[in-house]
Amino acid sequence: MISALDISTSALVAQRTRLNAISGNIANISSLKDENGDAKPYRAREVLFQTDERSDEPHGPAGVKVSEIRADDSQPKYRYQPEHPLAIREGKWKGYVAYPNIDLTTQMVDALETTRAYEANIGVMEISKNIGRETLTILA
Amino acid sequence: MFGLFGSTTIPALEQSIQFSQRRHQLLASNVANLDTPGYRTRDLDTDEFQAALADSIRYPEGRPDASHAVSPSVRDDRFAGPRDATEQVVYHDDSDVSLEHQVTQIAKNQSLHSMAITTMRSQFALLQAAITERA
Repeated sequence: MISALDISTSALVAQRTRLNAISGNIANISSLKDENGDAKPYRAREVLFQTDERSDEPHGPAGVKVSEIRADDSQPKYRYQPEHPLAIREGKWKGYVAYPNIDLTTQMVDALETTRAYEANIGVMEISKNIGRETLTILA
Repeated sequence: MFGLFGSTTIPALEQSIQFSQRRHQLLASNVANLDTPGYRTRDLDTDEFQAALADSIRYPEGRPDASHAVSPSVRDDRFAGPRDATEQVVYHDDSDVSLEHQVTQIAKNQSLHSMAITTMRSQFALLQAAITERA
């Protein structure tokens, strides 16, 4: 039963990482400069999951882990704001300001999905604990 | 053969408990990998286990004729058709974990575990009564 708890915990950790990334994306929805102060809009982070094989047998119980956190490569959203201090000075997008290309709806749906997956794993952990407790009652 | 427990169902119940605990681990890993792209569900075949268990209870010395091995596929299962149809669904991220199906299996598996534990406890209580000559 300890193994089942470990597996569910690995999913909790992974889903929490994903929720952190989503919170960061929503928080930075209008960040126009990057962490070094350069005028580059924030790029959305996407967390990718991967099966974490922990036993030697082929198709045994497996946990989950974060395989990589990817930065979104899509084009920023341009808004025409010539008075803005960060407006682009020359070229095709002269007078425009580059905003992060983050779709709030997508982020909210991802956040909901993550929350539900977290809850599902909590539910499985409850059942694992019940099974363990029941097994101990054989001794009683 | 099993000594004190030979006349009880405790050895069979023990196998059931081992099986349901092992299966619970696999079902937990299916729920854990709910959002993993390309993950395919893993499970243990309950029918095959039940058939093997029934076989070893019926023939404790080994099967007299191995050619009559019980095939789990001949069992009467009215809902096999609709279940097979939903099990092949692969979502857009190439995984096939259906949360509802997994939760149902976990609940069923927990019932099997509870049943085996409860029966085992009452068997022990009966043995205790016989040993202490008290009801």
